Amino acid sequence: MIELAHVSKRFGNETAVDDMSLHVPKGKFCALVGTSGCGKSTTLRMINRLIEHSEGDIILDGQAIKEYDPVKLRRRIGYVIQHTGLFPHWSVVRNIGLVPRLLKWPAAEVQARVEELMNLLGLSVGEFGHKYPHQLSGGQAQRVGVARALAADPDILLMDEPFGALDPITREKLQDELARLQAKMHKTVVFVTHDMDEALKLADHLVVMRAGRIVQQGSPLALLQHPVDPFVESLLGGLERGLKQASLTRVKDHMTSMGQMLPAQSRIPADFSLRQALSMMLRDHCDRLTVVDQHDVPIGELSLRRIIKEAQLDKGSA
Amino acid sequence: MSNSLSAAPSRKQAPLWLWPLLWGALLLISVVAMAAAEPLFRWIEPDARQVIYARADFYVLLGRHLLVVGVAAVVTIVVGVLAGVLVTRQRGRDFLPLVGQLASLGQTFPPVAVLALAVPALGFGTLPIIVALVLYGLLPIVRNTLTGLQGVDSDIKTAAHAMGMTPIQILRQVELPLAAPVILAGVRTSVTINIATAALGATVGASNLGDPIIAGIVNGNMAYVVQGALTIALLALSVDSLFEILQRQLRSRLSS
Repeated sequence: MIELAHVSKRFGNETAVDDMSLHVPKGKFCALVGTSGCGKSTTLRMINRLIEHSEGDIILDGQAIKEYDPVKLRRRIGYVIQHTGLFPHWSVVRNIGLVPRLLKWPAAEVQARVEELMNLLGLSVGEFGHKYPHQLSGGQAQRVGVARALAADPDILLMDEPFGALDPITREKLQDELARLQAKMHKTVVFVTHDMDEALKLADHLVVMRAGRIVQQGSPLALLQHPVDPFVESLLGGLERGLKQASLTRVKDHMTSMGQMLPAQSRIPADFSLRQALSMMLRDHCDRLTVVDQHDVPIGELSLRRIIKEAQLDKGSA
Repeated sequence: MSNSLSAAPSRKQAPLWLWPLLWGALLLISVVAMAAAEPLFRWIEPDARQVIYARADFYVLLGRHLLVVGVAAVVTIVVGVLAGVLVTRQRGRDFLPLVGQLASLGQTFPPVAVLALAVPALGFGTLPIIVALVLYGLLPIVRNTLTGLQGVDSDIKTAAHAMGMTPIQILRQVELPLAAPVILAGVRTSVTINIATAALGATVGASNLGDPIIAGIVNGNMAYVVQGALTIALLALSVDSLFEILQRQLRSRLSS
């Protein structure tokens, strides 16, 4: 659990973070979003004391971080940065095993843990273990970066725009993988990004920051439905907001049982997003889709008219 | 086919050891068998009574030369790297410009002048020349240590810090290894320059390969001068080519 209570950070006369309060429950994924210079990275670095906060309290598992020894504190917090910060003179295996070695794990345990993590992140030990960082692609290097952060099995993971330097396809792949890992491991994650789609996709809790202050926080859906001001709305994509919301909703939540009419030609799996369904409707010039399960067996249908009606009801009730 | 492939790397590596071996062999021949080249030197100085410097054996002079340069190099490396490391730490940062200027000053000060000032204080012999060499050789090492350490990517340092490495661990396991090629280049420059500069020691009674040169100038015997200059040049080339190998190995270890 991470708790920030009225935390401020001043650099001279400059206030980078201003009276920030935030609660990240254990096992939750919190994304800090905002334009550059809004204090989101500073906030992250205050949590592992790369930067000391000026005022307020930061509490980790019930204890103020000021009471921890900074070196020991950092060894129990995973940290991932944009350009990986891998040591270029160390092999992949040695890079990943860094924190366990600092914690003086026996060599055999370090080796076993490194191999476990490489398998978890889809890096073959035989192929990549002895490579050096400059021999890796951007995506592979960031996998190693994530593996290094997870090596000593920390409860808390801090990620500072980890996928910001990757091409869109690799980025999406790593986002999916991170979501998969998080579903399995339930780390307490604080994730900094300026990519709202990334934040919407991954976060349980979304924090929008501007000029060192929190403008709005809440679940992604809550923010999409009720942005507090034009700034948050524009960050959420303005007119695209509808589609972004649709991408957070599964097809199965909107499908109805098969009607009397002939089943529609186009088929969509039930666990696809509503956004993908809308896109398919546009592509296939239809307003109905047949929903199928993973064995391609029809289990219901999705109708455009019904989606819109439900959206109206949502708006009315909220 | 496979033969030609396996032969290729060894053909590539051959020049690596070729130069130190070649220069080293020539140096060895020149210090052991200088007398054999008497006809050549006789041609340079037809009228001199003696054309081969004989007040001391050349290998003895070479040994003393190496000793002086070696001692100076060890002191310079320890002082230079230590200074470079200290002023790049958080607490020493204020001294960074000062150390940079002091090191530059050491090199602008001519070694001859240092000798002239050091002799009254330290007396004749080996000590003043070592002092002069240390002052003269400090700049390349300090400058390259600073460049090397400052050139370490800040992302790498941040990551090291954030993983929970202590400052000493970061210095020893991350910064110094990454700065090593640049520091080594500074050491190479420093040592190579000092091999030549050490010859000045002959003027203050530190006997080394400078002796034949000074004696030759004093007695107007060009053959002596050539003998001293030749051995010093061969020594400098041998040592320099050894550094080349060291640097290449370091570089290949960092980027293989």
